[in-house]
Amino acid sequence: MRRLVSTAFVVTALLVQVTILNRIPLPNGRPDLVVLVVVALALVRGPEYGAILGFLSGLAADVVPPADHTMGRLALAYAAVGYAAGLLEDAEERSVFATVLVVAAGSALAVIGYAGVGALLGDERITLAALGNSLVATVIYDVVLAPFVVPVVSGAARRADPAGYGVRP
Amino acid sequence: MRDSRRARLVLALLLLTAFTLITLDYRSNAGGPFRTIGNAVFGPVERAVADVARPVGSFFGSLGHLSSYRADNAKLRKQNQALREQLRLTDAERARLRSMEQVMGLAGRAQFRIVPAQVIAVDGALGFEWTATIDVGSRDGIQTNMTVINGDGLVGKTVEVGPTTTTVLLGRDPKFTAGARLEGTNEIGHVDGGGRQPMTFTLLGSSSTMKPGDRLVSFASIGNRPFVAEVPIGRIVRVFPEPGQLFRTAVVAPFVDFTSIDVVGVVVASPRTIRRDSLLPPSPRPSPSQSRSPGRSPSPTPSPSGTG
Repeated sequence: MRRLVSTAFVVTALLVQVTILNRIPLPNGRPDLVVLVVVALALVRGPEYGAILGFLSGLAADVVPPADHTMGRLALAYAAVGYAAGLLEDAEERSVFATVLVVAAGSALAVIGYAGVGALLGDERITLAALGNSLVATVIYDVVLAPFVVPVVSGAARRADPAGYGVRP
Repeated sequence: MRDSRRARLVLALLLLTAFTLITLDYRSNAGGPFRTIGNAVFGPVERAVADVARPVGSFFGSLGHLSSYRADNAKLRKQNQALREQLRLTDAERARLRSMEQVMGLAGRAQFRIVPAQVIAVDGALGFEWTATIDVGSRDGIQTNMTVINGDGLVGKTVEVGPTTTTVLLGRDPKFTAGARLEGTNEIGHVDGGGRQPMTFTLLGSSSTMKPGDRLVSFASIGNRPFVAEVPIGRIVRVFPEPGQLFRTAVVAPFVDFTSIDVVGVVVASPRTIRRDSLLPPSPRPSPSQSRSPGRSPSPTPSPSGTG
């Protein structure tokens, strides 16, 4: 059930991203829905689950057409995001502000991780200007969307598994 | 905060796996098996989603162009009362029909054999890529490295082909490079996509000259792959001053509006020869305009057809 809910959210996010969100001519960039979903689920499930979920989501994002970059780059970035967000699991009195902060940090981490590996591989798309642009845009748009997306995803994840608080060691 | 050795171990393993994947995929250059699988698995789903989502997408898409529509409209009002009425009536369906006609028109004049297609998804990772998925694939005879056009000109080239979907590298992508020729001359060079920076044209040969307003058409690749000849690309808007430079570079305003591509055509066959500059819009405007979409001016008179 847990897996089903997570998979459904990630796949929906991926498809909505490429078929709808990316077509909206927003200035300078666009929100990244997958980061939002990974963060929202990791906040409920913890770092281990977050890392695995992030990795698999990234893997899917790496192959969903029209992606055209080296496989594994988003898997790497999102795994790190999932782990980092998962560290804040269980913070019962987590405020909305804190959630937004996690989303901002997660989005920035995703962009930097993806661009960093790209720079190492000599990807022509990664320039300082492009990085700055994408970083600012993704963080801002994700923060704007966070109050709408994160509670829905986290809430559904909690309902799917009321007892569990992630994979305990 | 809750952390554990186990979670850290899992993370380390995943990162290692990701690095391994990256290395493997990087070495196996173009595509690799994963992306083919991605196209085969996600392609049909994207097609289905795009069918449902198209009205939403085109609604938002048109929002971004309200100002240019308005400018067009004002111009047309002076020109043609009937056309203005028509523009007012324009809905998404009619716009698509019109762009389909334009693609067919361009292809007809060039005698290209094209496979018409619809854009169903755009842009890969995190706003760094300018790519599009179109709803035709190997079953429709599409192969990698084919020219993709729309009614305005060069859109891009195919890079990854699945059974029913194809990934197109758009002309705006920083990875995109195509041979180009200056209108009315033999001067050649290459255009390069710039991402969020403007597209540029580099003229090979230091003796030749170019000036704002000059138009560019594609220069055929060997065996017409990936690029067929004569497809309009754009108009030069600014030439960089080049003290002591061997090659001259200019900023290009592409004819194609990459933010709202919808109906495209994949060129699957091209005639051996195409008359020079025959595919450029019929009447070059006297003033080099700075407008965002120079190729879009609707011409009331039908363009001279077929070069035979």
